[in-house]
Formats: sequence, C-alpha cells, structure tokens
Amino acid sequence: MTRTVEQPGPRQPLRTETSAAVATYVFAVCRGGDPAAVAGLPGQAPGTPVRLLRFGSLEAVVQDVPAAEFDAENLRERLADRAELERCARAHHSVIAAMAGSAPTLPLPLATLYLGDERARVALRADERRFLAVLKRITGRVEWGVKVYARPEAKQEPDRSAEAAGAPGSGAPGSGAAGSGARSGRAYLERVRGARQDRERRQQAGLAAAEAVDRALRGIAVASRRLRTHETTLTGERGVQLLNAAYLVAEGDEHDVAAAVREVRRSPACRSVEVEVTGPWVPYSFVDGSFVDGGEPDARG
Amino acid sequence: MTGTEGGPARGRNGRLELDPDRVGRDLVCLVLTVVELLRQLMERQALHRCDQGDVTDEQEERIGTTLMLLNERMDELCAQHGLTRDDLNLDLGPLGTLLER
Repeated sequence: MTRTVEQPGPRQPLRTETSAAVATYVFAVCRGGDPAAVAGLPGQAPGTPVRLLRFGSLEAVVQDVPAAEFDAENLRERLADRAELERCARAHHSVIAAMAGSAPTLPLPLATLYLGDERARVALRADERRFLAVLKRITGRVEWGVKVYARPEAKQEPDRSAEAAGAPGSGAPGSGAAGSGARSGRAYLERVRGARQDRERRQQAGLAAAEAVDRALRGIAVASRRLRTHETTLTGERGVQLLNAAYLVAEGDEHDVAAAVREVRRSPACRSVEVEVTGPWVPYSFVDGSFVDGGEPDARG
Repeated sequence: MTGTEGGPARGRNGRLELDPDRVGRDLVCLVLTVVELLRQLMERQALHRCDQGDVTDEQEERIGTTLMLLNERMDELCAQHGLTRDDLNLDLGPLGTLLER
C-alpha cells in the first residue's frame, strides 16, 4: 500500500506560545553530529548560531529564533506566502543537508518549534525510541525522487480535434466554415469519438509507463513511497504529473538508480512520458514513524 | 479556473484577488465551466446512445450537428470573454480536474 502525503510542510502541531522571547527551532535529530558542520549557517534566524542540543543518546540540531516571529499566527501567515515558504524550506534544508554530511541525520518537519531548550529536550526525549528506529533505517541510505510527466506534445486537446471536425468529413478542409449546413453531424460525432478513444489510450499508456518506472525503481530500493502528484499549476510547462515517488536506496547505489532510469527511459512503455530523477536527498520521505521497510504502514505505530 | 497563465486571477499566494473586474471575469469563467461540463456530458451521452444503436441515422446526424454548433458557440463565448478552453476547469486537488484534460 502507498500513502499520499504532502511534503515538506508542517506536519506536527506547532508548539508555540507568544510569551517567551526566544523559541527553539529544531531542524533535525542526529547521532554523533559535528557542531562545526552547521556552525556558520544562517538557518532560520541569521545572526544566531545553529548548534547541537544533546538529549538522551542523540543530538538535536537547533537554533534560537525570535518567538514573536514564529508564533502560530505569524507562521501561518508566512508559510502561506509562497516566496517566504520557499525561503524557510531552503534554510531548513541547507542545515539538514550540511549535518547529513557529517552524521546520520533525521530531518524534522519544517517549523518544529519548542519554547526553549528545556521543553525541546523533554519532548524529544519522549520520542527517542522512535528516532533511534528511524535513524537505524535511514543510516547509510539516501532518498531519490522520481517524477513522471506526460509529454505535453503527446497530449492534444480533445476540443481542438473536435473543432477540426467542423470541417467536412470529406472534401477540402476549411470549406465547411462557409456554411454550417454543408457539414456532417455524424462526422463530428465520429471525430469526438476518435478524440475520446485517443485520450483514453494516452491515459492508459501514461499510467502504464508510471507503473513501469515505479516497478523498476522498487526493484533496487529498500523502501518506496508514492507521494501526492503536483497540480498542473505547479508543474508549469510540463505535462500532467503521472508519478511522484520517493525511493530509499543504499548510499553508493547511484549507478543502479541511473541504470534503472536509463533502461526504463528506453523502454517502449515510456515513449510518451518524461522521467525526472532528483537526488540523492536526505531521506525526508522515510522519517515518518509509521513507515517500515517496503513502504507498508507500520501497524505498531 | 486552474490559474493558468492568462487565466482567472490567482494571486501570488494562490489566493483569489477581489478586484471587481476580475471577480466578474471569474464569474463568467465559472459559468462557462459549468456549461462546458454539461456540453461534454451531453456529448458523451450522445456517443453512448449512438453506440447502442437505438438512434436512427437521421437522428444521429441531427444530434451531431447540434453538438457541433454548441461546440462552436462555446468557442465564440470563450473568445468574447478572453478565455481559452483550458481556463474552463476546476482543480479538485487529489480528485484531479473537473473536466478531462
């Protein structure tokens, strides 16, 4: 089974109050992290250092941020602004990526906040066992993102083809524009039918291609996850997104990923789609406690 | 109303902007979207009936002509309001779009 989630985004309730002047922003949890790896980074509040906070046998990568700027209301406002969201997400990611270079790192959701170090430590300690289990799963592994798009040129608007049916079924195209009486209603229906069948064929082919890509990558992945596909407004000039998936792959298996993608791109099933691969990423999609290897939801929670 | 370029007003944050002119245009777009949905449903129903074979050739010709004229009329209406057929759609999130693409 696969689950659909949106990421990155605040998945946990924001634990903030407005009274304190300084809040503790937690980027990630790691084991044996090197403070120097993140020391110089701006993080979410340029000017204050990004540092490590020990709890139990692990460390959290944290930063003091002005509580007023990060209270629930302000945060909601800021994260609703796409440009600001991007800035926050990039700052969040750059700290996580830097730490992941030095130690096994478990990224926490964007905007994970506590009222001070003490509260952060108490809350994180309560989750220590889960963190250890997830770290065990992601250590030595990276995430690869694979997106499949229908090729825009392969997609023809059905209404455009139907429009063309305005021309008479036989005879010179275009002459139909002169008098509607000369055009055949049956020919129009025939064209509409043809366009519909074309589209169904295209949809089938697109889905089959997405499945083929997913199968190929699941073959080399430790775990996989299907994410919610992006709206067309976000994918811009590209075609409709048919697959948005993440694969947890052993570090050093980049060649296998590349080979699998190359092969699947060449396969006849994928003629009408575009396959986009990104990575290696810190395994953002596999830090949820509800996931075990193989991508099955963990009943034990 | 998928907020495509040149389409209905979508603010920088993906919010609708309440500029009176744009509200009028968005309303036209919404009405035309509903009309387009009905047109497509009729077209589908007509094809279905023809496939079942319970329509005479003459009836089929008449239905086809009507639908063809309706399709042309939609193009005219869209052109009048500076919209394209691509603008006539609603994004239903995980359900996909209201009209087939």
